Amino acid sequence: MDTSRRNFLKLLGIAAFGFSVATRPVLNLLSRNNPARAAIGIEPTVPLAGKKWGMAIDITACLDKENCTACIDACHTVHNVPVYPNQHDEIKWIWRAPYKDVFPEAEHAFKEATVKSDTPVTVLCNHCTEPPCTVVCPTRATWKREDGIVMIDYHRCIGCRYCMAGCPYGARSFNWFDPRPYVPEINEDFPTRTRGVVEKCNFCAERLARGQQPACVEACPEALIFGDLEDPNSEINEILRTHHIIQRLPELGTGPNVFYFTRD
Amino acid sequence: MDKRQLQSTEDRPLYESVTTSGRNFKLALIVLGALTLWGLAAYIFQYNIGLGVTGLSRQIFWGIYITNFVFFIGISHAGTLISAILRLVKAEWRRPITRAAEMITVLVLFFGVGSILIDLGRPDRMLYLARYANFRSPLLWDVTAVAVYLTSSSLFLYLALIPDIALLRDRGGRLKWLYQMLALGWEGTERQQARLDKAIRFFSILVILVAVSVHTVVSFVFAMTIQPMWHSAIFGPYFVAGAIFSGIAALIISMYLIRKFYHLEDYLKPVHFNNLGLLLLVMALFWFYFTFAEYLTAFYGNEPLEMSIFWSKFTGQYAFFFWSMVMFCFVIPVPLLAFKQTRTITGITIASISVVIGMWLERFVIVVPTLTLQRLPAEQAFYHPTWVEFGILVGCLALFCLLYVLFTKVFPIISIWELKEGKEHKKAEVREWLRNRPPEERAELQREL
Amino acid sequence: MYDTGKIVTGLVIFLVLISFPIWFNAAGNASANLPEPEIVTDEEQCIEDTEFMKAEHMDLLIDWRQTVVRDGIRTYVASDGRAFNMSLTGTCLSCHSNKEEFCDECHNSVGAQPNCWNCHNIPEETE
Repeated sequence: MDTSRRNFLKLLGIAAFGFSVATRPVLNLLSRNNPARAAIGIEPTVPLAGKKWGMAIDITACLDKENCTACIDACHTVHNVPVYPNQHDEIKWIWRAPYKDVFPEAEHAFKEATVKSDTPVTVLCNHCTEPPCTVVCPTRATWKREDGIVMIDYHRCIGCRYCMAGCPYGARSFNWFDPRPYVPEINEDFPTRTRGVVEKCNFCAERLARGQQPACVEACPEALIFGDLEDPNSEINEILRTHHIIQRLPELGTGPNVFYFTRD
Repeated sequence: MDKRQLQSTEDRPLYESVTTSGRNFKLALIVLGALTLWGLAAYIFQYNIGLGVTGLSRQIFWGIYITNFVFFIGISHAGTLISAILRLVKAEWRRPITRAAEMITVLVLFFGVGSILIDLGRPDRMLYLARYANFRSPLLWDVTAVAVYLTSSSLFLYLALIPDIALLRDRGGRLKWLYQMLALGWEGTERQQARLDKAIRFFSILVILVAVSVHTVVSFVFAMTIQPMWHSAIFGPYFVAGAIFSGIAALIISMYLIRKFYHLEDYLKPVHFNNLGLLLLVMALFWFYFTFAEYLTAFYGNEPLEMSIFWSKFTGQYAFFFWSMVMFCFVIPVPLLAFKQTRTITGITIASISVVIGMWLERFVIVVPTLTLQRLPAEQAFYHPTWVEFGILVGCLALFCLLYVLFTKVFPIISIWELKEGKEHKKAEVREWLRNRPPEERAELQREL
Repeated sequence: MYDTGKIVTGLVIFLVLISFPIWFNAAGNASANLPEPEIVTDEEQCIEDTEFMKAEHMDLLIDWRQTVVRDGIRTYVASDGRAFNMSLTGTCLSCHSNKEEFCDECHNSVGAQPNCWNCHNIPEETE
C-alpha cells in the first residue's frame, strides 16, 4: 500500500478520537444498563449504609453442651448446605472448634476459669472489616457490602479458591461436587449452589432483608447476639461496651466483626 | 546468502528432522499420543463429576494442579535466558540452541495456563477473568503477565524463524505453501536483515523484563496471602531463580534428545552442554542459597505457626518430599556438574533430569504443607492425590513433548541461518585477525595450514 | 467468466440450501410446532405486560440478579406502580408454578437452556 507514514498516523489519530467519543453511547444503547430500560422499574430502597452488622458470641453458653448443634443445624437447614460422607468434601458455614484452636494465642487466659482448653466455641466467617479474602478474588465475586456483610456472588465465582487461601480463619468451603443430591431436605425459599463455587456464611442477608434475625441467632439467642455495631441502643453494642471481648487472630489486622465474650 | 549453499550436503542433518521421519518418530507419536489420551480421559472424568474426584479437600484446596502451574511457568524461563540473554551478551555458543529454547518457552506456557484452567471449579466461566477483572488480585497480575509473556515469546520465536522458513520455502516440498505464507516475503536482503536484527534485539530485552515479572507475579499469588511460610518476601527472587534453574535443566534434556534422535552431534557439541552445565551449576548454588536463607529465617524466628509447617517438611508428613527435593535439586546435580570428569554430556543430562524432578517436588513442597496446617495447627489434614491428578500431569507432559516433536517435523530445531551467520562472523573475524598479523607470522601460518 | 455453468449451478444449490428454513416452514409445518405455554394463575397480568415479558424476561431477570445480589436491593416497582420482591422462585414461580407447561414449553421449542434451575428451586406443583 502506498500510504505514507504521516497519513497512517493521521488515520490512527482520527480513529482513536472516534473510538473514545463514540464507544460509550453505542455500548449504552446495546447494554442492559441503558437508562431508558432501567426507568421502568427498579426503585432504590433505603440503602443499607449506616448499618454495620456484627455478632457477639457468649463462650460460656456452650459450656457443658458438648453435643449441641442447634445453631449449626438451623443454618445448614435454611441454606441447603449439603452433607457429605467424606469429611474431606465437607461444607460448613458455622461449626464448633475447641477453644485452644480458636484462640491459640489466648489459650492461657482462661485456664483456671470455667472455660477450658477444649470447650467448644462456635466459629463462622468473621465478616472482617478488612477482609483478606475479597481483595484476592480475580473476578470480584466476593466483596464486602456497605452494611459490612462479606458476600459471595455464586453467579460469578469461577472456583479458583484463592479466597480460601486468603482467609486465615478457614471460614470458606468449596463445592467439590454437585451439592443437590447431598442436601438432606431442600428449603425452597433459598437456592442451592452448583458445583465449582465457594460458599460461606452470609450473615443471613436474605433474612435480614425480611427483618428477621439470622437463623443461628434465632436458634440460640442466649449464645449468639446479632445487631448493628453502630447503633448505640442495640444489644450487641451494650455487650461490647460492658464485657471483656476477644477476637480471633486480631494481630492479623483483619478487623473481625465477630466478638467473643463470657457472661460472668 | 547464496541459495546454492543451501543444497550442500554438509548441512543435511539440520534439515533431516523436517524431511524424514523414521521408526522412532512413529513410536514417539504412539506413546505420547496414548499418554495424552489418558490425561484427556482423566480430565473429562473430572469435568463430568467435579473437582471432588481429586484428592483435594476443604483444607487442602490447592495441590497438584497448582504445583503443575508453577512448574510449567517456571520451565518457560528456558527460552528467555538462553535466547534473550545470551543474544544480548553476544555469546556465540548460543546459536545452535536458541530455537529449541524458544520453542520450549512458547509451548510450556500453554500448559501453565492450562493447569490453572483445569483447576477451576467453573471453567465455563473462565472468560470472567477478562470481563470482571479485579486488578487488585495477584491472580489477575498473573493472567496479564503470562498473556504478555506468551505473546512476546511467540513473536520472538516467529521472528527468529522467518529466515529458516524462507530457506525451507526455497527448497520446495509438501509444505511449501505454508512456508510461503509464513516467510512474509523474506529474501535475505541487507535491509530486511537489519530490520530483523533490530526487532530481535528489541524482543530480547522485552522478553527478559517480562519473564522476570512473570515468575515474580506467580510467586506473589502465594506471598500476598497471610498463610504461614507463604507470606515471605523472598518468594519473588526465589521463584525467578528456581524458574531459570528448571528452565535450563529442561533445555538440556531436550538438547540431549534432539542430538541423539536427529544425529546432531556435529552441531550440539560438548562445549554447549558444558556451558549450560556450568550455568545449571550456578543456578543450583543460587537455589540452595535462597532455600537455605528461607528456612534458616523461619527456624531462627521460631514462630509457632511457621515452625509446625517447618517440622512437617523436615521430619513430619512431608519429610520424604522435602528431602527428596534437596537430593534431586542439589545433592545429585552439584557434584555431577562441579567436577570435570562427570561434567560430560551424559552426566549433565542426568543432573538435568534430577533437577526437573527436584523442582517439581519443590513446588509441591511449597504449596501443600502450608495448606495442611494453615493457621489451624490442630486440624492437620492429609492430601492423597488420585489417578485423575497424576493422569493430568502425565497427559500435560506427554502432550508437551508431542507438540514439541511435531514442531521439529515442520521447522528446523536448530537455527540454520543463525549458524551460518555465526560462521560468516567467525570467518570475517579470522580474516581481519590474519590481515593484521606481521608477514612472517602469516607465512608461517599458511605453511601450517 | 470461466466455468459459468458450474458456478451458476453451485450458486443455485447454495441458495436453496441456505434458505431451507424459510421454504420448509412456509409449506405449512410451522404452525404445528408453535409453543403454547399454559398460564395457571388467576392474576390478570404479570409484573409487566405480556409483550414486554415475552421479549425481555431474561434481561429483566439478569437485572434482578445484579440488583439483589450485588446491590442488596430486593424491591421491584413495576411500571404500574405495584411493588414486587425480586425473586425467581418466590415471585415468578409463585404464579407460574407449572414450570414444565409454561417455562419449558417455549424454552424447549427454541432450544434455550437457562441454567438458573441448577441452583434456584422449582416449587412443588400444588393442586
